[in-house]
Amino acid sequence: MSTLEESRREIVAEARARQIAVIKNIPHIPGNVIYAVGQHMNFYAAALAGIPLAVTRYRREVVRLIAAIAFGTGALVLVGGTVFVVAFLTGFAGVELGLQGYSQLGNIGVEALTGFISAYINTRLAAPALAGIALTATVGAGFTAQLGAMRVSEEIDALEVMSIHSVPYLVSTRIVAGLIAIIPIYSVSLLASYATTRAVVTLGFGQSSGAYSHYFDTFLIPSDIVISFIKVLFMAIVIMAISCYYGFNASGGPAGVGRAVGSAVRLSLVVVLFTDMLLSFALYGSTDTLNISG
Amino acid sequence: MALAIKPALSRVGGFVSLVGDSSRAMFRRPFPLQEYLEQTVFIASVSILPAVFVTIPFTVVVQFFINQLLQEIGATDLAGGGSGFVVIQELGPFCSVLVVAGAGATAVCADLGSRRIREELDAMETLGLDPMHRLVAPRVLAFTTVALGLFGIVSVVGLVGTYVFSVVIGGASPGLFVSNLTLVTGAPEFIMAMIKTLLFGVTAAWVACYLGMNAKGGPKGVGEAVNQTVVVTLMVLVVINSAVTTVYLQLGV
Repeated sequence: MSTLEESRREIVAEARARQIAVIKNIPHIPGNVIYAVGQHMNFYAAALAGIPLAVTRYRREVVRLIAAIAFGTGALVLVGGTVFVVAFLTGFAGVELGLQGYSQLGNIGVEALTGFISAYINTRLAAPALAGIALTATVGAGFTAQLGAMRVSEEIDALEVMSIHSVPYLVSTRIVAGLIAIIPIYSVSLLASYATTRAVVTLGFGQSSGAYSHYFDTFLIPSDIVISFIKVLFMAIVIMAISCYYGFNASGGPAGVGRAVGSAVRLSLVVVLFTDMLLSFALYGSTDTLNISG
Repeated sequence: MALAIKPALSRVGGFVSLVGDSSRAMFRRPFPLQEYLEQTVFIASVSILPAVFVTIPFTVVVQFFINQLLQEIGATDLAGGGSGFVVIQELGPFCSVLVVAGAGATAVCADLGSRRIREELDAMETLGLDPMHRLVAPRVLAFTTVALGLFGIVSVVGLVGTYVFSVVIGGASPGLFVSNLTLVTGAPEFIMAMIKTLLFGVTAAWVACYLGMNAKGGPKGVGEAVNQTVVVTLMVLVVINSAVTTVYLQLGV
């Protein structure tokens, strides 16, 4: 009787060990990835669902954040705030475009068309992409640092205890404020990129400003600029959602906040550039807006 | 106004002195080889995957617009020339350092910043170990190594990506694409791109180390230091980019 019971138990134990071995051999990374994707989606859904609450109940916080985003907080004030940083980066993209555009077009003898290159590439490609990258570095990383510090020093838990809805109050307000603040920031940045390309070509290379303006004005299409803004607005939503996620879920003291900022920047860069690519395909896919050869 | 200028100047001074000290420490023996290798592996491990995923959309979207332009003037077969120009001269160095700044520099800054907050750096100095020699110098070299390696990966991924986009999807002629790759981009341009990458990598390392080692004020301080690292690195990067391009165009190789 007892031996029978024992052998039965042995068989069960063996079978269980085999099962565990099988389970352990399944690579568990996919499970973690799926779990993480679910976590992200949950958070983004909650953040977007909180927007009405943020606009109605936390309007004062939204206004405060708009100012904080445009002019920067902490040490960013020292270099002139987000407006300056983003305009600086797109401005230098304009410089590079002027330098390379003029010299490459010069190779085939049509450097007169640099004005057209500025109207075309700055609007559609260089300014939005650089603005997306710059926003990731300034606003996005800033949000992660702020929220991460709040999470680590248990301020977010304190908000919850005071029965303030932490996601609408902290995250949804930031998304709304970011979307509003981005429009003036990007306007300045786009102008900076036009101005620097123009300066390089007319002052640096000495092209006549009339020829430059002629081709620039001819090929500057208003709908392109609108689409350019749409692209940047989409990028802004993506950046703010991702950076708030990493800040909101930071853990592990000062080092944890630093790591969260790093992860947020990495993921935002990748997702922002994919957003840029897909929106470009979708919005600029038809070539009928462009007629050089008539 | 004077209040705002003084801290700014002292930061510039602190940065320059870190650059000088760490450059000198690089040649001091014994070289911390293990730290260098560990940091190289670490930075590479956080950078390679983002580099691939940043390069694909960035190069493809640029190629998309270039192809549109070329199609309009009836020169679709020049897509290869555009690809070589974009990937090697402009986006190769830019993408590799964007990732080194976004992934590597943030990690290094977070690491050094939390060591500063936990007073580990002060403890090292008390023990007579020079952080410049033990921590900064190997990191600067590790960044340079990884940036150059990433440039290789980014170039290959970018060229393959634009090839697939132009030839397989866009219908350009494969033979002409490959033969036009070197139309405007030859060895001098490639060397210029390598020099750009080298300068970017070194600068990103110095900025990350400086801001990390001067972090203060608890978790928020470290977070802000990492934030500043990305911003400052990007700003310095675009300036170097334009400066090197100008010098290269002036040389007229």
